[in-house]
Amino acid sequence: MTAIQTLHILNKSPDHPRAARCLEIMSAEDGLLLIGGGVLLLATGNLPGAGKVFALSPDVDARGLRQLTGDASVVDFPEMVALSLQAQRVISW
Amino acid sequence: MSTLIMIDQPPYGAWSGREALDMAFSLAAFDQPASLLFTGAGVNWLRQAQEASGIGQKSVEKNLSAAPIFGIEAILADRAACNTYSLDESSLIEGVTLVDVKTALLTGYHHTAFAG
Repeated sequence: MTAIQTLHILNKSPDHPRAARCLEIMSAEDGLLLIGGGVLLLATGNLPGAGKVFALSPDVDARGLRQLTGDASVVDFPEMVALSLQAQRVISW
Repeated sequence: MSTLIMIDQPPYGAWSGREALDMAFSLAAFDQPASLLFTGAGVNWLRQAQEASGIGQKSVEKNLSAAPIFGIEAILADRAACNTYSLDESSLIEGVTLVDVKTALLTGYHHTAFAG
């Protein structure tokens, strides 16, 4: 598994200004982990073109988005911890 | 005196949406005409097959299913916002009417209030 430079943990829904800012500064070596209301990005189909995208399983299921995950990888809590350890740095938006 | 309660916040992140729902249900229970309008990220309240036990909550879908019992006049959803969040007739819960949110819609109510 290639290392992630920066893991962006986004819990804001797509209409929050911070969500747009997060996607703006994300680069190809980064990872985006969607949690809480952040998983609603999956429904908009506007996933970032560069970098890997992950979404937290219980939050995806709570919002009924299991069919709309697209290219994102659905992860559980232990995998979320592993991702944060694997990343060089983490930004919690 | 008809009231329109607007919910523009996504489900589960905060309590304001559920509080607005309680307010609408209370109005309806006391025979005050009330309708709900979901806009922006708020339309995600209306998606089928929400399974919220994993985050320790009840699904808001179940809350909303009580709306006709309390006598809520209409559950309205902003068509443009539904498009943004990939929601259509096949993925929306039952009893939702798609509307275009324009001034004409809001002038039909004596009072419009946002949740939160």
